[in-house]
Amino acid sequence: MMRAFRLYAAQSSAAIRTSFSDRGNFAIQVGGMIVNDIFFLTLWVLFFAGFRSIGGWTLSDMALLFGLTMSVVGISGVFFGGYRDMAATLLRGELDALLTQPKGLIPRLLARESIATAWGDLAGAVFVLGVFAKLEWTDLPALLLAIAAGTTVYVSASISFASLAFWAAGARTFARDLTDFMLLFSSYPGSIYQGAVKTIAFTILPAGFVVLAPMGMVRNPGAQTLALVLFGAVVYGAIAVGLFHLGVARYRRGASPSM
Amino acid sequence: MSAVITVKSLSKAYRYARRRGGFFEAFSPEHVTIEAVAGVDFEIARGERVAIIGPNGAGKSTTLKMLSGILEPSGGEASVLGLTPWRERKALAYKIGVVFGQRSQLWGELPARESFTLLRHIYDQEAAPFAKRLGELTERFALTDLLDQPVHRMSLGQRMRCEITASLLHGPGLLFLDEPTIGLDVTAKAAIRDFIREHARDHGQTVLLTSHDTRDIELVCDRVIVVNQGRIVVDQPTDQLRRRFLGRKIITFQSAGQGVSLNLPGVTRRLSEAHATILEVDTKLTRVEQVIAAAMADGGIEDVTIEDPPMEEVIADIYASTHAT
Repeated sequence: MMRAFRLYAAQSSAAIRTSFSDRGNFAIQVGGMIVNDIFFLTLWVLFFAGFRSIGGWTLSDMALLFGLTMSVVGISGVFFGGYRDMAATLLRGELDALLTQPKGLIPRLLARESIATAWGDLAGAVFVLGVFAKLEWTDLPALLLAIAAGTTVYVSASISFASLAFWAAGARTFARDLTDFMLLFSSYPGSIYQGAVKTIAFTILPAGFVVLAPMGMVRNPGAQTLALVLFGAVVYGAIAVGLFHLGVARYRRGASPSM
Repeated sequence: MSAVITVKSLSKAYRYARRRGGFFEAFSPEHVTIEAVAGVDFEIARGERVAIIGPNGAGKSTTLKMLSGILEPSGGEASVLGLTPWRERKALAYKIGVVFGQRSQLWGELPARESFTLLRHIYDQEAAPFAKRLGELTERFALTDLLDQPVHRMSLGQRMRCEITASLLHGPGLLFLDEPTIGLDVTAKAAIRDFIREHARDHGQTVLLTSHDTRDIELVCDRVIVVNQGRIVVDQPTDQLRRRFLGRKIITFQSAGQGVSLNLPGVTRRLSEAHATILEVDTKLTRVEQVIAAAMADGGIEDVTIEDPPMEEVIADIYASTHAT
């Protein structure tokens, strides 16, 4: 276990150094993401200046949701950045080289890249959570657990989407679209989701488990909210691992589009 | 000698959907099965250097992928270093090195040295023996000056030297190479061939390579398995194959005026174009330099190209020969 962790840390560290290697490009990407986040936040600040509340949600709730989303996307991008282009990686047949090596495939795929813009999300998250979300120091453990669980669900869902590449070549763009939809669903107040849309937000595109349930745990800590958040992380993690390995078995039978 | 690889009736079939013409037919594609490897049998002893050659689609890479644990076969058995590759993939991975000519196991943006260090973690290698082996390999492969250069800035030949080094860092007893010289220039090919041959000889390493290039086979391997349409056509020592099939060169002379006309033993004229004469030379009867000297003496030569016959032709000759006997 320690060896696996050391390997992941070594790979992830190499990927982060790679993302830093072109400093000009890194600065532009991070700066661009910070500007993008500030613009998005400003819109909500202006919105709540006029309406005060939307379905019971106030600016501090929105800031918590926004900060959690940015934290999840930031941590995923910096430390598990390979999730973003995993479908394309699989379709290019790059699994072959990994299959001839003795370590787990999912960690190898996740740690192969670190996304520079994700640092912008992380910086924005610290600012938004610190300034607008009305959090106390006592909220910190629940907040960290919420971010960890949300990141697990977000990365797991992305792995599941990418695993579709074992069945269909079109998954190259489709997987990315699904991940983007999940992010979009994670960027709006949970109170606007009702009926079928709410079902989607808690199943196929698990935005509910990426931010809404973790956010509920931060605002109303308790056994029930904690259980819901952990349930989401464990279930989506298991689905991702199961689907990916089903796909690998198919790939090794020579039945995948990339073979 | 003990067998490092034993293969019995190994086969692999791929099934794919072939689209038919017409709008409605697109919704009910026809399923076609292709037998990429059709029941091959062979054994490879420790220390042997064996080439699997054949035209595109002959089943070379598929065989290599099954033996390295990437692919599961449709039927048959294989034992590699005492393990069944597709069932004991991870255990086997510690014992073999694999190089794909068209895939990389290195991190393109990172200096080669960092990729090598990551491979130490991947193969659970102790630092001291790993450093010793890396030092030996980089010195032998003249990589010392390249170690701090990002892999994506290297030439193809330099990258391939790094790939082969990477595959040897954990000290595997068996090396699989899939088209290791593809796309390389003549000098880079020569360096790769020399290294593989000498390293294998010095360390008693077993090598199984696939190639389109007959020179890879002649200069690296002591045994050749020729496959065509998933079946083994010939399995014999390289010397024997060289005497019968690999001693030919194709020489093309570009000239301003009349084409070249030579009357030398073992030299036959192929279909020639305007200002280009293509000769096939049996080098056992007449050496290449003799042919060029004679053509130059004839005058009017502007350019000369020397090539090996395409693999497809070599295979066709072998195939015709084995079916005639």
